Amino acid sequence: MSSLLLRFATQCAGWVYILLLALTLGAGAMIPYLTVDTDPENMLPADHPARIFHNQTKQTFAMHDAIVVGVVAEQDTNGVYTPETLSEVKQLTDTILDMDGVIDADLMSLSTVDNISQAGPGTIRFEWMMDKAPVDEAGAKAVEQNISRLPLLYDTLVAETGKAAAIYVPIADKNESYRIAEDIRAAISKMGSQQQWYITGLPVAEDQFGVEMFIQMGISAPLAGLMIFILLFLFFRSLPLIIAPMVVAMATVIVTMGIMIGMGFTVHIMSSMIAIFLMPIAVVDSVHILSEFSDRYKPGENAGEVISKVVSHLFTPMLYTSITSSVGFFSLMLTPIPPVQIFGAFVGFGILFAFLVTLVFMPAYVSRMSDKTLVNLQQALHGEGDGQSRVAAIARSIGKLAMSWRRGWLVVFSALFAVSVWGITQIQINDNPVRWFKADHEIRVADRVLNENFAGTYNAYLVFSDTNAVPSAAALIGVDVPEELSGWQWDTLKSVTEQPPTAALESLIIAIDDAMFTVESDEAVAYLDELVARAEQALSVSKTFQSPEQLAYIADLQQYLATTGLVGKSNSLSDVVKVVNRELRGGEEKDYALPDSPQAVAQTLLQYQSSHRPNDLWHFVTPDYRESLLWLQLTSGDNQDMTAATKLVAQYVDEHPLPAGIDYQWAGKAYLNVVWQENMVAGMLDSLLGAFIMVFVMMVVLFRSVVFGVLAMLPLTITIAFIYGLIGIVGKDYDMPIAVLSTLTLGLSVDFAIHFLERARAIFKETNNVSATLEAMFGEPASAITRNALVIALGFTPLLFAPLVPYITVGVFLASIMAISALVTLLVLPAAMSLLHRFVFKSR
Amino acid sequence: MVVGSMKSAMALAFTGLLVASVPAWSAELDVNELIQASERASYYAGDDGRSDARMMIVDAQGRKQLRQFTILRKDVADNGDQKMMVFFTRPADVRDTVFRVEKHAAVSEDDDRWLYLPALDLVKRISAGDKRTSFVGSHFFYEDVSGRAVSEDTFTLQEETDSRYVLKAEPKNPDSVEFSYYVVEIDKTTKIPMLINFYKANGENYRRVEAVEVETIEGFPTVTRSKVSDLASGGYTLMEFRNMDYNLGLEDDIFSERSLRTPPMQWLK
Repeated sequence: MSSLLLRFATQCAGWVYILLLALTLGAGAMIPYLTVDTDPENMLPADHPARIFHNQTKQTFAMHDAIVVGVVAEQDTNGVYTPETLSEVKQLTDTILDMDGVIDADLMSLSTVDNISQAGPGTIRFEWMMDKAPVDEAGAKAVEQNISRLPLLYDTLVAETGKAAAIYVPIADKNESYRIAEDIRAAISKMGSQQQWYITGLPVAEDQFGVEMFIQMGISAPLAGLMIFILLFLFFRSLPLIIAPMVVAMATVIVTMGIMIGMGFTVHIMSSMIAIFLMPIAVVDSVHILSEFSDRYKPGENAGEVISKVVSHLFTPMLYTSITSSVGFFSLMLTPIPPVQIFGAFVGFGILFAFLVTLVFMPAYVSRMSDKTLVNLQQALHGEGDGQSRVAAIARSIGKLAMSWRRGWLVVFSALFAVSVWGITQIQINDNPVRWFKADHEIRVADRVLNENFAGTYNAYLVFSDTNAVPSAAALIGVDVPEELSGWQWDTLKSVTEQPPTAALESLIIAIDDAMFTVESDEAVAYLDELVARAEQALSVSKTFQSPEQLAYIADLQQYLATTGLVGKSNSLSDVVKVVNRELRGGEEKDYALPDSPQAVAQTLLQYQSSHRPNDLWHFVTPDYRESLLWLQLTSGDNQDMTAATKLVAQYVDEHPLPAGIDYQWAGKAYLNVVWQENMVAGMLDSLLGAFIMVFVMMVVLFRSVVFGVLAMLPLTITIAFIYGLIGIVGKDYDMPIAVLSTLTLGLSVDFAIHFLERARAIFKETNNVSATLEAMFGEPASAITRNALVIALGFTPLLFAPLVPYITVGVFLASIMAISALVTLLVLPAAMSLLHRFVFKSR
Repeated sequence: MVVGSMKSAMALAFTGLLVASVPAWSAELDVNELIQASERASYYAGDDGRSDARMMIVDAQGRKQLRQFTILRKDVADNGDQKMMVFFTRPADVRDTVFRVEKHAAVSEDDDRWLYLPALDLVKRISAGDKRTSFVGSHFFYEDVSGRAVSEDTFTLQEETDSRYVLKAEPKNPDSVEFSYYVVEIDKTTKIPMLINFYKANGENYRRVEAVEVETIEGFPTVTRSKVSDLASGGYTLMEFRNMDYNLGLEDDIFSERSLRTPPMQWLK
C-alpha cells in the first residue's frame, strides 16, 4: 500500500496539493461555527444520575445560578454598617433589579429581604430589612442589630465581622452572566464608592474561563507553531524544507478542528488544547523523514527516489508510532467524561490524519524541490558548527554516558522506579475549578476575599426525601359509595388517578367540598364527612417535613456539621421555623427552638409565608412537604473538602439512622465536581491500563518478540511512574489535567522506544555486532530521537504563557515527560539491550 | 381597590340612578365619585357580610397549595372603617387560625391586626409594617383582601370603552409601594374593578388582578372568582367565594379578641 501511495505522491504531486488544500479549506470553513462550552457540569454526561438529580434539585427548590457581588469596608470601624455603604448597597441593588435577565424575586440583598422583629410587647412586626438606606449611624446600627438576629441571613448577606456585605444575583440564563456582570461593574464604577467591590460566582467564573480559553487558543497555539518552526529551522537550516512539516501540522490542526466543530461538538477546556497537542505530534514523522533524507541525499541524486526510499524505510516505525500515539489518545474514550472522550477521539484522529498526510505530502513536496534548493540544503546541513551537529553531539555524549555505565543505569532506574511507586501511593486526589485561574486573577481574589469574610460561597445541597407511600385517594374513596354519589365517585376517581398522590388527596378534598353543596341524602353527607376527615388526616400525615421530629433530625445534623470545621454555615427549614417561632413567642433566645407539633410548625410557616418573599420557603421544602433541602455553604471548593463532608454525613447517618423511609441525596456544584472527579480517576485508570495492554500487544506484534515488547514498554513505564511518583512526593494535587496526561504520555513516549529498537534491530542485521550496533545507534537514530523529543517538549512550552492553570500544568508536565522519556530511552535501552543481548540480538 | 368578596346595595342603587338619569356622565365623569363608588362596590356591600373562600395557590412550577377560610365583615361606615375576621379551615394543620383586622380608612392611621395561632396557643398583635406582603403565601396581598384605600392613589381617566372606565392610578406615597402605577378597568354597570394591571417604573407589567366571575347575590354584584397573577414567574392564585350572605346583622362582639379563641360557630357553617 505504501509503495502505491508513494508513487502517487511523487508522480502526481499537484494532485496531492489540490486535495490537501480542498480538504483543509472545506474543514476550515466549519471553524467559524465554533461554540465554546465552559460549564464544568458538562464533565458529566447529560444523563448522569448525579447531574440529573442536581438539576432537578435546582428546579425543585429554585436554587438558581447566581452572581455574587461583595463589598468590603476594611478601614471603617463600623464596617459596612454606615449610611454611605448601606445606601450604596441599596442603590446598586435597585440598579441590578432593573437589569434584564435577573430573577428579581430571588435576589438577595439587605434591601430585598424581610425582617421579623418585636414591635413592643406582644406585637410582631414584618417589614423590609432595609427598604430605604439609613440616614444616620443609629439607623445603620439598627440594620446590624436586625440582621444579626436572623441566622438565615447573617453571615450570608453581611459578614459576622461586619466588614463585608453581599448581594446574590440569581440569573435566568448562565450565558448572560458576562453581560450582567459587566453591567454591574459599570454600575459600581459609576457610584464612585470608597469601598472595595468584588464580583464572583460560578457563572461569572465560567464566562471568564471561556474568554481566557479563546486567548489561550489564539496565542498559545500560534506560539507553539512558531516555536516548532524555529526549532525545525535550527535543525535543518532550510526554509523550503521545513515548510513541509509546517504544512502538515497546519493542515492537521485545521482539518481536525474543522471536523470536530462541523460535527457539532462544542469547544470545551479539553478540546481547546487539541491544536496545541496536534501541532508538535504532527511534525514528528516529518522530522524522522527529513532527518534520514538529509543524511542519505547526495547532490545529483533524484530527490523523488531518495525520499521514496526513506519513506518506505520508515513506514513501519512511523505507522506503529502513529498507531500507538493514537491508541493512547483513543483510550481516553474509556473515561466516562464527555469532554475528555471528545478530546481523545479527535487527537487520535488527528494523529492518524497527520501520518497519512506526512506519507503523501512529504514525498510530493520533496520530489518537487529544485536541485538548487537541495544543494543549498545539503551545504547547510553538512556545514560546520550548526544545530544539526550540535544535536548529534548531544546524542553522542548521551551515548557515551549510556555505554560507559550500563549496569549502573539499570540500578539507578530500578531504585528510582521503587521510590516512584512509593510516591504514587502518596498522591492526593483533589481539584477545584476556581483554582483553574491563576492566584492573582480577579476571580481568585474575589473568591478568596468573599470566603474569608462570609460563611462560604461554595454550595452543596443535601436533599432529604420521604420515600414512604402516600395513601392513595382512590383507595380512600373505596368501592362502597352511597347510591347518590356514584356519578361523583366515577368523576373523582378519574381525576385523582391522573395526579401525584398528595395533589390527588387535595383534589379529593376539594371534590368532597363541592359535593357537599349538592348532596341531599344523610347517607351521602355522612359518607362525605367521614371521607373528608380521612383525606385530611392522610394529607396531614403525608407532610413529612412539617413534623418536629424530622426537623430536629436536620437541626441536629446541622449542629454536628458546624463542629466539623468543614461547613461554614448550613441553612434549613428548621432554621426558618425556629426564627419565626422565637419572634412569635416574644423574641427571646430561649424560644429559638422547634415547636412541638406539626400543626404548630404549619402555623409558624404560614406566618413566614405572609412576608414580601413567600416563595423563600420553597428553597427549603417542597409545597407537599415531602422533600427538604439542607443548604451547606463551604468556604473551600476543594473536592477533598467536599468529599470529607460527604463522608462525615454518611458516618453521621450511620450512627444516627434517618427516620424510616427517609432518604438523602447530594446535589450542588461542589458535589458534582466530586462526582466527575471520581469518574475521572477511575476512568483514567481504565484508560491507562487499556492503553498499556494494547500498546504492549502491538509492540509484541510489531517486533514479533515478547522481549522487544517488554523493552519497548520499559522507558515509558519508568517515565510515567517517575512523573506520578514525583507528583505524589511533591504534594501537587492530582487534578483533571494531571489525570489526562498519564494516558497520552504512554502513547507519545513509546515512540522513542519504537524508533530506537527498530533501528537497532535493522543496524544489527547489517553489522551483526552488538557493540557496533549500539555505537551506530548514537549516530543518526539517537539524533532523530533527540530532535523529536526537543520538538515535542519545546512545542508544548507556549502553554506556559497561558492565562489558565490547567494549560500551564499540561505544558510543564508534557514537556518534562517528553524530555525524561527520551533520556530514559537513550540510557536504559542500550544498557538493557547489551545486558540481555543473548535474548535481544539473535544471530541468524 | 381590589376585587373583594362583597359589595354594596347603596353603591348599586346609586349607580343605577346615575346611569339612568345622567347618560352623558362620561362627558364630565367625576373620577373621584367613580372610585368611591367602586370602592364601595368592592368592599362595602351591605352593612356586613360573610363568605367562604377557597384559594388555590399555583407556583411557577405548577405546584399547588390550598387555603380555605371564612370571612366575616362589618362596616363601621361606607368608604370608612371596617372590622374583619378571617377563620382558617384548611389545610387541616392551620385550622382555627384566625386573623382579626380593624381597618382604618384614614391614610394617617394604620390598621390594627391580630393573629391567633391555636397550635402555639398564641394571640399576637401584628404591627402593620407594610400591607403589601403576601396573604398567607398566596399571590394576594394583605391589602388586596382588606382593600387598598382609594385615598392612597391619584386617579386619572385614561379611556372609556362601551362597558368600562380605564383609570390610571399613581401612588401618593411611592415609597410605600412596590409599583410605579396601576391601570384599573372598572365595569360601568357594577362599578366592580374587573382588571388591574400593575406596572414598574420601567413600564413592565408584572402583576395582574382580575375579577374572573361576577354574580349578583342578594342584589349585590359580587365577585365569586378572582385571580392574581405574578406575570414575571407565571405563578398565580385563584380565589373562589361561595355561601355569600349580606346584611346578617353581625354583632360587634363577634369582631372582638374573644372570638379568636372561641369562634362564632353559628356564622361559620
